Amino acid sequence: MTTAAGPVRPQKTAAKKSTGPKKKSPGTKESAGRTKSTGSSSSAAAKRAASPEAAPEQTAEHRRDAEGETQESADLSASTALATPLDLLLANASASPIRRFIPGMSGVKFTAGLVRHPRVVARRTAGLAYELTRVGLGRSRLAPGEKDRRFSEEAWVKNPVFKRTLQSYLAVGAAARGLVDDAGLDWGDDQRMRFIVDNLVEAAAPSNNPFLNPKVIKRTIDTGGGNLVEGGRRFVQDFATAPRVPSMVEADAFEVGRDIAVTPGAVVLRTDVFELIQYTPQTPKVRSVPMLIVPPTINKYYVIDLAEQRSLVEYLVQSGQQVFCISWRNPDVRHADWGLDTYGQAILEAMKACEDITGQDKTAIFGICSGGMIASMVMAHLADLGEQHRVAAYSLAVTVLDQEQAGVTSALLSHKAAAASTQASREKGYLDGRTLAEIFAWLRPNDLIWNYWVNNYLMGHAPKAFDILYWNADSVRMSAAMHRDFMDLAIRNALVTPGAATMLGTKVDLGQVTTDSYVVAGIADHLCKWESCYQTTQLFNGDTKFVLSTSGHIAAMVNPPGNPKASFQTSPSGRGQKGTDNPEDTQKWLTQAVKVKGSWWDDWVEWLSVRSGEERTKPRKLGNATYQPLDEAPGTYVHDR
Amino acid sequence: MTAEHARSRADDHVRNVTVRGIAARVSVRPGVGSHTDKPPLLLCNGIGTSLEALQPLVDQLHPDRGLVRFDVPGVGGSALPPFPYPIAGLASWVTALMAQLGHRRFDVLGLSWGGGLAQQLAVQAPRRVRRVVLVATGTGALMVPARPRVLKIMATPRRHRDPAYAAKVASEIYGGSMRTDGARGAALLHGATRSGPKRGYYYQLASMAGWTSLPFLGLLRQPTLVMGGDDDPIIPVANPKLQAALIPHSQLHIYQGGHLGVLTEADELAPIIDRFLDGDSPDPMNRDQENTR
Repeated sequence: MTTAAGPVRPQKTAAKKSTGPKKKSPGTKESAGRTKSTGSSSSAAAKRAASPEAAPEQTAEHRRDAEGETQESADLSASTALATPLDLLLANASASPIRRFIPGMSGVKFTAGLVRHPRVVARRTAGLAYELTRVGLGRSRLAPGEKDRRFSEEAWVKNPVFKRTLQSYLAVGAAARGLVDDAGLDWGDDQRMRFIVDNLVEAAAPSNNPFLNPKVIKRTIDTGGGNLVEGGRRFVQDFATAPRVPSMVEADAFEVGRDIAVTPGAVVLRTDVFELIQYTPQTPKVRSVPMLIVPPTINKYYVIDLAEQRSLVEYLVQSGQQVFCISWRNPDVRHADWGLDTYGQAILEAMKACEDITGQDKTAIFGICSGGMIASMVMAHLADLGEQHRVAAYSLAVTVLDQEQAGVTSALLSHKAAAASTQASREKGYLDGRTLAEIFAWLRPNDLIWNYWVNNYLMGHAPKAFDILYWNADSVRMSAAMHRDFMDLAIRNALVTPGAATMLGTKVDLGQVTTDSYVVAGIADHLCKWESCYQTTQLFNGDTKFVLSTSGHIAAMVNPPGNPKASFQTSPSGRGQKGTDNPEDTQKWLTQAVKVKGSWWDDWVEWLSVRSGEERTKPRKLGNATYQPLDEAPGTYVHDR
Repeated sequence: MTAEHARSRADDHVRNVTVRGIAARVSVRPGVGSHTDKPPLLLCNGIGTSLEALQPLVDQLHPDRGLVRFDVPGVGGSALPPFPYPIAGLASWVTALMAQLGHRRFDVLGLSWGGGLAQQLAVQAPRRVRRVVLVATGTGALMVPARPRVLKIMATPRRHRDPAYAAKVASEIYGGSMRTDGARGAALLHGATRSGPKRGYYYQLASMAGWTSLPFLGLLRQPTLVMGGDDDPIIPVANPKLQAALIPHSQLHIYQGGHLGVLTEADELAPIIDRFLDGDSPDPMNRDQENTR
């Protein structure tokens, strides 16, 4: 059904790559398919080899470079949001999509606000009428933003009909947004009304309308309407099943275990809750202390093992680390009672396996996102038991432990909605990741809905193949108990107060954690705000090296060395003592931080190598007598939808 | 230790394969040794269960035999298709799946609901399907029906989603050795299996609505082994007998046991399947019915 992929690939949507081979050009899929039997390295080579095909576009695309990058960074940060722990879990996932657009009390206050300011409203209406008149006479200077790709077509400027349509739209949209300013609402209602008005304005854009978008009209003539037939087919397919949003990537764009998640290794432990993958050493000598990666529970683990050259796991293995990674099982209705303790216990089991296999009495732990939250609670648990020495080094990426300044989404959500949401997941047994995908798409409709609306349905093109978006579309469920526990942590902000939360029967006091830690955040991460991530340095009592990477949530993490533009900021001494290197005030930290060129991956591996023991000869085989290899990486749980 | 090494230890390899826009979770065990060049055996599962449920049978079949298992769209780890599908559509999708895996010719074994799919495959793709094994399955809408209470339990996926309920009803619907040990049925259905959305189960039920193999069984040309349990509440034993009588090149094997006998008593039944698939069967042109009881 989805065979009509390649030849119609639009150059318009081809985002410029900034790091490594992310995008496959039209010929790539076939070449990757042909080289299937020879293994993944050659398919990646094929991917690179195929890129010259795109070269003729380069000059024409030069102007679009900037836009392309904006788009990509939008894609990147957007696609990452699902990995955000709490903001999204707070989402009122129980409500129907339409419910989320009903303004309710905010709407009443909005209307009341406007009634209270009649003169402002009258002035704004008059202003709009004046502007529309100018549009009609062709004298208006209204123009879309420089970076607005929706109106990049020449016809929007040169054709008087399209120009007037666009300018009217811009005038009306600006007036509608202005009304929200005029109403003088308090922060929460203001955010909520702004969200609804923005959504309406963006939905009304003439570019979304097949009869008003010159690009679509041109293509309809070129293909004799074939684009609309193909688009209709795509629309039906997308909207027949949840998530009811345009697909951002084709279902067969990538294959887990073939193009992504390809670092060799084996599953050495399989429990009901997780599979533990041990990666095959690729260096003659390895560090003696094993490293255990605790990925988020909200998406699949392979965001840290994307295509070759873009895989954090591969990078760690090639740097001589002995890497173990947890691959969480996608829970279903029978696992409704898996809570924080279940996952905490799983981490302990995985640690024991790492220690046993490598013959060590300690492990380095690396927690990501929600995985980092659970791992931090386990750290506190170990500290309470007096077993903190079992963790040689503790690393955290894009993890928010202090929920005090939660992201934008929290404005849209209330305690009542949160309670309704936990109730709904309790009845169902789990929280469906696809519902979250819908909610998130509507938080950024221009990037995640209308962009693909035009591309997939109106133009009839296949969405481009992009590994992060493929990963993002591979949603997982969250067990009802876990959902409840996470929401509870967030609402009470319980990790900040010693003893407010428990893990496996002990009270959680993050202040007891004195292990050295390495904390990473992304400066453009609009969901796990870096300021919130930074608060971690104030919670732990060991030396905490805080590193502020460029870009957003996932791009900060998928940050392979070699990108000339990559850089990060960190404290000048590099030691990370609380108070001096890590002052309480984030702005103060920012002013005294130093900028380092390159990816934080290099810096981190250096930091790790100091703490992960002597070098020794690599083990001859994976696992041991107790932990026999059961299956090759990426294992079986990663395939569960 | 290399990836190759891991494969030779545990040769079942689970992966996702996208066929016609539907991502399916598939487990492939390549044939080795004496079976390297022989067509693999495609296992079609019962309703609502993921491929792990077939593990007891897989463990007992010839270790060299190539095997393909898959989760039906909407069940286990496979994506839910946008719309309900007819069984003929699914059969066509399955042949496309096998072609994508590189198998243009294969044997097929269908258990229960999967037996319906196997019969459809056999008649729809006569050049692809070499031999057919039907286990505890009927002829669709026109068959000797189970008792109403059994049908009522089968009408919802609850037993796959609620372990306590499964333990309660297992003896009643599966019969055989589960009559004395209902928990075993629950364990079979819940041990390592994956559970899909309810809609997937209903799609499976709906695909068989109005379908019957009765008219075309006489057209089947493949050598066929029909197996059935003598204490199977879902498929009364008259059904396998009827199928064997109608399929030209068939053998009948009635075993002592219930609906899931091929899983619970796999050690006894798998060798019979192996013998049949390896051609140790009567001349297909010479219609011969064997009844071991």
